[in-house]
Amino acid sequence: MSTQAISHPAAAAPRSGTNAAATRLVLRIGFVLLAAVFVVATLLPLLVLLKVSISAPQDIMTARPPFLIYNATLEHWRALLNPATLYGPARHSLLVATGTAVLGVLIAAPAAYVISRMPRTWRYGLILGLLFTQMFPDVGIAMPVAITFLRLGLNDTDLGLMLAHLVPTLPFVAWILVGTFEMIPREVEEAAFVDGNGKIGTLARVVMPLAAPGIAVAALFAWLKSWNDLVYAIYLFLGERTLPLMTFYYSNRGSVFDTATFAVLLTIPVMVVTLALQRYIEAGTLSGAIKG
Amino acid sequence: MRLTRRQFGALALAGSTTLLLAACGQSSTGGPASAGGGQTTGGGQTTGGGQTTGGGQASGKPGTAGGNGGGGSVSFVTALAEDERTALGEILKGFESSAGVQVKMIQMESQDVVNQLKAKKTAGKVDVDLVAQDNLRLGPLVRDSIVEDLSGESARVPETTIDALVPVTQFDNKRFFLPYRPNVQIAFYNEAKLSAAGLQPPKTWDELLKAGQTLKEKEGIGKLAIQGAAGDPLSVTVFEFIKQAGGDPLALNDAGTVKAFEFMAQLEPLLTPEYRTAKFDTMNTIISNDTAYLGSNWPFGINVIVDKNGRKDIKAYQGWAGPNGESHVLGGEVLGIPAGAPNRAGALQLAEFLMSKDTQAALLTKLGWPPMRTDAFGNVPEWQKPYFQAVQEALKHVDARPNVPYWEDVSRAMNDAFRDIVQQKQPAKETLDRYASAIQKAKQAAGA
Amino acid sequence: MLLPLTLYILLLTFVPVLQAIGMSFTDRYSGAFPSLSNYQYIVGRPDFTAAFLNTLGITALSVSMEMVAGLILALMLARTFAGRGFFRTVILTPMGVPTLVAGAAMLYFFRTNGYVNEALLRLGLIDVPIYWTESGLRGVFAIALADMWKVTPIVTLLLLSGLESIPGDVYEAADVDGANRWQSFWSVTLPLLMPAITMALIVRAIDAFRIFDVVMVMASRSIPVMSTFVYSNYFDFQDPYSASAAATILLLMIVAFIAAYFLLVERRRGELA
Repeated sequence: MSTQAISHPAAAAPRSGTNAAATRLVLRIGFVLLAAVFVVATLLPLLVLLKVSISAPQDIMTARPPFLIYNATLEHWRALLNPATLYGPARHSLLVATGTAVLGVLIAAPAAYVISRMPRTWRYGLILGLLFTQMFPDVGIAMPVAITFLRLGLNDTDLGLMLAHLVPTLPFVAWILVGTFEMIPREVEEAAFVDGNGKIGTLARVVMPLAAPGIAVAALFAWLKSWNDLVYAIYLFLGERTLPLMTFYYSNRGSVFDTATFAVLLTIPVMVVTLALQRYIEAGTLSGAIKG
Repeated sequence: MRLTRRQFGALALAGSTTLLLAACGQSSTGGPASAGGGQTTGGGQTTGGGQTTGGGQASGKPGTAGGNGGGGSVSFVTALAEDERTALGEILKGFESSAGVQVKMIQMESQDVVNQLKAKKTAGKVDVDLVAQDNLRLGPLVRDSIVEDLSGESARVPETTIDALVPVTQFDNKRFFLPYRPNVQIAFYNEAKLSAAGLQPPKTWDELLKAGQTLKEKEGIGKLAIQGAAGDPLSVTVFEFIKQAGGDPLALNDAGTVKAFEFMAQLEPLLTPEYRTAKFDTMNTIISNDTAYLGSNWPFGINVIVDKNGRKDIKAYQGWAGPNGESHVLGGEVLGIPAGAPNRAGALQLAEFLMSKDTQAALLTKLGWPPMRTDAFGNVPEWQKPYFQAVQEALKHVDARPNVPYWEDVSRAMNDAFRDIVQQKQPAKETLDRYASAIQKAKQAAGA
Repeated sequence: MLLPLTLYILLLTFVPVLQAIGMSFTDRYSGAFPSLSNYQYIVGRPDFTAAFLNTLGITALSVSMEMVAGLILALMLARTFAGRGFFRTVILTPMGVPTLVAGAAMLYFFRTNGYVNEALLRLGLIDVPIYWTESGLRGVFAIALADMWKVTPIVTLLLLSGLESIPGDVYEAADVDGANRWQSFWSVTLPLLMPAITMALIVRAIDAFRIFDVVMVMASRSIPVMSTFVYSNYFDFQDPYSASAAATILLLMIVAFIAAYFLLVERRRGELA
């Protein structure tokens, strides 16, 4: 519903015939141009990484780099794509990131719901209190946190790393979810409650579906924060590396080709996850829930 | 309005509680925390990439296991590149079968070793038996008693160990480390570009200046590079220039040091602007992509620049000498045993194996690592020979960085002085006097 | 329902933060407490002043650019048009590139042999390559741009989820009133979106103040910022006292920013509502 409402460019201003058509055309061309600019700006750095990963050294190792590829090679990919070394880290990274996202939403959602129904003062006070711990540079607190985890024997386990990643993730996830729940009008909730859904029923059948876009964003946020983490992985995961750790080592030790190839490899799962989650971000799928 | 005030009340309350509680909790949390989000520092030439060898299955816990006196397994922390890890794994197979000990290689970058081991020690969960650590980052390991005093194990050190390595393994005349591998920076240069400008690889400071001037005139932008990234890389660079002028880095305001800083200030405008970010990894890149035609780096650059980046036209030599002769910082790695290591006996066994003549020869043959002992000979691949020659030459003129407890303050003073004098062109003598007194203060505080 | 979250965060991070703050007030040599010696020391350092100003500059520049671009993108994505799925996936991709790699990718444009210089050289606009990541405004701008590339998608997502949560009937009501698009944006969309904007702005500002990897990769410490200053004192110079003092100042900067935001923006909204 809402998408439709927003999506009529000139619908609201019916002017005289040709004039309106011209305006609409200009608007549409402007829209396409703007979109093109954004797409190009976003893709260029990625294309450069892709280019480096499939270029022979002489195309890259020069003071005047060419814009196109003249000597393509799959050598860098061949050298890197070794299932034996990739499988373990990939499994860990995927598992930990997904676990962090799920746990993060499970822990933060109920709290965020409660917070969102509090008076404004309390709401912001609490959230800022949670965020307070994130205003310190990671460098300052990673070690004490790691020591606690080591004491609990949570090093070198997927669960341990998930729990560690929740430390920097949870306050933000909670913040995002509070914002989401805040925007769901209480009247909708009350109406559903009156309709005979119990408290839990209202939450499960009305509030949560309405909050789905926010939840999806929060989950994606948590997933990415975990997927990109280096600091805690360095402390808590010695037995086997995660993918970002491998990237870190490659960029430290290897050549620019290793780094670029690995970077391209790393972005592929992200594109898949983004694609998978993005239909939940659509309000269109939800309007049914609202009306129904 | 009213609401916001209250929000502030909450914040202010949080703030003041913070300060109060902080008063109670100040004592603990000693050292540095966290690990590099960036590719950061690392004076190290050591190279990255390994973890468990031999069919390491998913998420087994590393280390531990094993009884005492051989047998079981040894967790060995060492930072290696992928190909180095493979090669070392091959060499270690011999040890595993003869000693009946399984070796687990764990990857840890040198700048993380201190914090990781410290965290493990504080938590009472030390599960690492042997550490190969960059010898530029040993101080905190000793100061915080993270590694054991190995004075009782000196007999295990081979007699043929290179002399220069002895001071590196000792603090206050006590042995804390065993020698493993020496290392030294060599100068890489673009042969074609230098000769096109009518230049030979500079052998003296004067030639270095002249090369810088000629190249800058020709290209319009500086084409020399030094490792100028703040922290260890810059410290190593400054240390070498000071030594080449006959100065004392610990004093920092003697005639030699002043001369070195004045020279660096002259050289600075002739450098590529990217020298500011140059360290062991970025130096490889700027040499490989012709941003710089001359610059020093650790020998692992041979593999990256020449082999991986395909720049067979980049050559190497031992570098330039100053008015007081040639001087290179002695880098490399030493072996230490963390206090409370679960398999101390196995660790010592492995250390002896690593120091043995055969292993050192194998490391030279397979990895091109210069041996730590005078009686180990190996065969490097043909193409590496000229580069290895440069390493050998440079190794003849190494200076070990002094193992003083206030080293980090010296390092900071050298970094600060470089910024003030070399980059901002402040007068050398007065500036150095200021930093020299800062070093003296730190020295007294350290009780040295 | 609040308890698990609160306990988890407080127990694990509150104490370390407090300890570090305590350390910043402890004299490095004598152990005296409380003492301002660490603060006196760092404030007297030229690289601290630079770090402080650079952090402010980078934060102001990158956050405002990100908010504007993010809002535009979110508004675009809230409409239906052919190829929207593709557009969204493309726009969101940089989120997943590790910051370390994002910095390295941006270097292909901004280093002296990068594509920006190459393009300028080919166009004949310059004869000698420019060093982009020099300290000063040029470097701050290059870093803000690099940061923007990596995090604008997050801002877009946060704002988009806010937009999607605005019930459709609000627009229908505005439509009936005959408001044109621009008016309805200012009077309907923007006010309703304020919670999401506040959220995105604060989440981003907290991270921007703490910017680290991008700067480290692109400029090492030739463009010092607060986090790299903390890092370098901790790691290179083994001085956790000065590092904690700088970290505490960074904390205060963020708190001051949030306080100012709530005073200036949220209060007015509170009065309106």
